[in-house]
Amino acid sequence: MEIHVDKNACVGCGLCVKDCPMHVYELQDNVSVAVRPNNCMGCLSCHEICPAQALEHRGIYAARRHYIDIKVCEMLRKVV
Amino acid sequence: MSAGYIDEMHEAFHSDLIYRAEDIPLECSPKPKELEHTLHGVMKLNGLVIRSLEEIAGRGANAVTYRAGKKFGHEVAQYFQKREDVEGALHELSDLLRGQYSFEVWKPEDKETFIIEENGETFIYLVFHDCIVRQTLRRNGLDQGGPLCQTLFGYVVGAVEEITGRKAKLEIVHTGPNACLKKLILK
Repeated sequence: MEIHVDKNACVGCGLCVKDCPMHVYELQDNVSVAVRPNNCMGCLSCHEICPAQALEHRGIYAARRHYIDIKVCEMLRKVV
Repeated sequence: MSAGYIDEMHEAFHSDLIYRAEDIPLECSPKPKELEHTLHGVMKLNGLVIRSLEEIAGRGANAVTYRAGKKFGHEVAQYFQKREDVEGALHELSDLLRGQYSFEVWKPEDKETFIIEENGETFIYLVFHDCIVRQTLRRNGLDQGGPLCQTLFGYVVGAVEEITGRKAKLEIVHTGPNACLKKLILK
């Protein structure tokens, strides 16, 4: 598992540090650093909680997603 | 309601198909792609049931759904091969849950084995990746870890108990949008 933190985007709020149950992140000089990437089990809570969207995971298993509303998807497809 | 509309409705449900009692459908009808709306309907319905149950029964809702899941787990797993080893039981469980849930046995990097002994208890970490419960909860904007999750817990515990013949307990360690970490405690 590779975790990349965009240092320019990270605001150092520490939410990922508090939220991660496996203590993957640590704040160093007010920037989040993935110190234990091998402990990451890929829940992606940190992605959801990060206000700056500064995180990127590589080599992760993406779970099946059925919950996205079909009509919303159709509308998004027209826009994107 | 106009007569024309009623005729139209009757027309939609009428066909010349001959269906015999011995006819066994060999495939899902309609095609899975066309079932997307049905799936969303089922997820909405489940969400509504769980939301109402929480409103009416409060914290007791968890106990009800856990009990229901556990009973179901016992019932389903009784037809599976009995295994004494936990590894084999989890393999059986993975077959049992196929299509609805997928999970893997997981360990933090500082642990040497998957069966962990800590503070007098023996447990295994399970990471649930694909989960129909998570999909349903997120589809309905409900919190994870509530009564619907308890149904899955009960189901897993019931199945493991039935397969191994040992008492088990499951704990939520963490819930996330892409995976959830659970602790299977063996007694």
